[in-house]
Amino acid sequence: MNLNMNSVETLVAQIQGLSGSTSDVNHLHTLLKQLEELFKSESSRLAPLLTELDPSIHSLGYLYILEACTSAPISKEQASELVLSVGRFINLCSAEQIRVAPDKFISVCKRFKDQVMLLEDPMRGVAPMLTALQKLQYSSEQLTTLHPDFLLLCLLAKCYKTGLSILEDDIFEVDQPRDFFLYCYYGGMICIGQKKFSKALELLHSVVTAPMSVLNAIAIEAYKKYILVSLIHLGQFSSSFPKYTSSVAQRNLKNFSQPYLELVNSYCTGKISELEAFVQANNEKFESDKNLGLVKQVVSSMYKRNIQRLTQTYLTLSLEDIANTVQLNSAKEAEMHVLQMIQDGEIYATINQKDGMVRFLEDPEQYKTCEMIELIDSSIQRIMMLSRKLTDMDEQLSCDPLYLGKAGRDRQRFDFDDFDTVPSKFTV
Amino acid sequence: MLKPFPSIFRQITEAAKGLGLEENMASSSSSGLTFKLHPLVIVNISDHYTRIKSQSLPPPSTPHAASASNGATSDSSSPPPQPPPRVFGCVIGVQRGRTVEIFNSFELLYDPSTHSLDRAFLEKKQELYKKVFPNFYILGWYSTGSDAQESDMQIHRDLMDINESPLYVLLNPSINPAQKDLPVTIYESELHVIDGIPQLIFVQSSYTIETVEAERISIDHVAHLKPSDGGSAATQLAAHLTGIHSAIKMLNSRIRVLHHYLLAMQKGDIPCENSLLREVSSLLRRLPAIESEKFQDDFLMEYNDTLLISYLAMFTNCSSTMNELVDKFNTAYDRHSRRGGRSAFI
Repeated sequence: MNLNMNSVETLVAQIQGLSGSTSDVNHLHTLLKQLEELFKSESSRLAPLLTELDPSIHSLGYLYILEACTSAPISKEQASELVLSVGRFINLCSAEQIRVAPDKFISVCKRFKDQVMLLEDPMRGVAPMLTALQKLQYSSEQLTTLHPDFLLLCLLAKCYKTGLSILEDDIFEVDQPRDFFLYCYYGGMICIGQKKFSKALELLHSVVTAPMSVLNAIAIEAYKKYILVSLIHLGQFSSSFPKYTSSVAQRNLKNFSQPYLELVNSYCTGKISELEAFVQANNEKFESDKNLGLVKQVVSSMYKRNIQRLTQTYLTLSLEDIANTVQLNSAKEAEMHVLQMIQDGEIYATINQKDGMVRFLEDPEQYKTCEMIELIDSSIQRIMMLSRKLTDMDEQLSCDPLYLGKAGRDRQRFDFDDFDTVPSKFTV
Repeated sequence: MLKPFPSIFRQITEAAKGLGLEENMASSSSSGLTFKLHPLVIVNISDHYTRIKSQSLPPPSTPHAASASNGATSDSSSPPPQPPPRVFGCVIGVQRGRTVEIFNSFELLYDPSTHSLDRAFLEKKQELYKKVFPNFYILGWYSTGSDAQESDMQIHRDLMDINESPLYVLLNPSINPAQKDLPVTIYESELHVIDGIPQLIFVQSSYTIETVEAERISIDHVAHLKPSDGGSAATQLAAHLTGIHSAIKMLNSRIRVLHHYLLAMQKGDIPCENSLLREVSSLLRRLPAIESEKFQDDFLMEYNDTLLISYLAMFTNCSSTMNELVDKFNTAYDRHSRRGGRSAFI
């Protein structure tokens, strides 16, 4: 079917006319859905229409036309223009209208991301993606498909702080499991980049223990990083999985991360030389997984671990003794390490430079301040909200027919309070 | 427990009363005496009244008969409701200069035929009380009812030979949930010329509540209804905390009244009264009762400890919900778990 000028005019007129209230927008949406094939076939001719429409008022119509335009393969020269126009659209569009057709919006944004990567300038995509994400979300607790793309762009552009701002929100709703896996994995990497190891550990832990019916590659990679981050942050790694891990993960993940588990073993001996030897031996494996940087951080964290162990035995120690015990080369290096740890807050100590003694102190927090009160108060509020959500989920799950079916089936044939009217098998 | 709190509460109550927020602002008494009433007296009168009233009620009809009648019309076996009985007694205390402080009270028998109180009994009781409290004198008498009546003047006159200006303390036993102040009024008698005839009439006087720590604690204990079985630790704690909560709420509302008043004065809606302002400022200066560093430290530490305990409790609660949730989830969705073997009781 040919799109002649008349129908183009009517299309534009319709879009402009029906972009007022929500009912109009819904009507427009159904109209546009009917014209799908039209859009696909005439995609090349639709570009000039965009100039007649205002993205902030006619967002839905604009979106459809834009999506049709971007579906065609784009050359590198056009990519830059496209990136600009899509970015502009994202900034200006109205959130309610695009939420009517979220999949179109998502495909436009994905193509936008592809173009940006094609141009090898991920920085340009970060801000528009952030805006797009925020407009698509119903609430800050919802995970959209755009989250992992956004985090990927942040990673490539190395602007970790913007990524961190999104990671601060707690997620309670997930549409697609793949989005969740990718989100947590990229999020973990961003946190590692910012050296926020506890948050990284949390995110990677989510990937590893997320429900999965089949093992996926994201979980495998995440598990390797999880081991390394756990060594850096906690100084130890327990290879037993919590009970909410899926059985698939429990059985298979370890098979794919053999070198890492051996790394854990040699870490636990506490000897730097052994650890370094092991790392040297398995250099290519770590490098091929692109984890070499993390492994190096693991090695340097070994020194920290040893110094921390010393605080539990000694009250005061000379810098030379520290250097000897921890197998550092000189007292100067020991001093630098201890100083760094004091600054990071990992250890409480004072260095007396006159005689080169280090005195280890207790945690000076007395829990007597008003700030501590506010901190605890806000934690209590958060946990109350979490508790409410958990009770809701618990109730929902109790009514889930799948659960009831299994629970009923698993009951023993003859029960404790036998011969009552409760059926031992549920037919759903 | 936070020790300074109750005394601050009392001070604010007194100041609020001083601002005339109590019911007895419109004092028509001109004797210039200030009255101080102890809560023991109020509890005594109320206790006396309640006892007499419950003793005078007819025995309850049997449940069988009650259900049989279906409650459609009034049960013929129960008598028509009687007017609440009046109780009488004496109040004793100390008068120092212009201040009259009423400390205690005791009950008296009323002889309806002669419309007078039992004199012999009164004197015997007075002697006994004199032995224990040599300072206390009979200051007047009390009764219950909604308003002072004509017959009360007779009793009042009879007492005038013991005390030339006795007091009449009236307790209104009807429970009015809307009323915020105490239903206790103190009357004095004054000679007024009405229609050319000098008559003794009752005039209302204002009073304040005065208490000492020991009395406050015991009255508190008696006045608050405790659960009959003593309750478990949890219900007692809940009752205790509820009491504190309502006390703080009242404190808050009174401070809000003061605040509102001051704001209005600042805006100019109400003429500036310097005496009241002085009282409010003296009240405010009393408030940080302890200002030392050590108090601040201890207070914050204890506060933090309590917060941490509730945090820990919430945590435990959450963990247990989470644990159940995980179990249910594993049962429902994890295909490969618990293959074979029998499951535990759910």
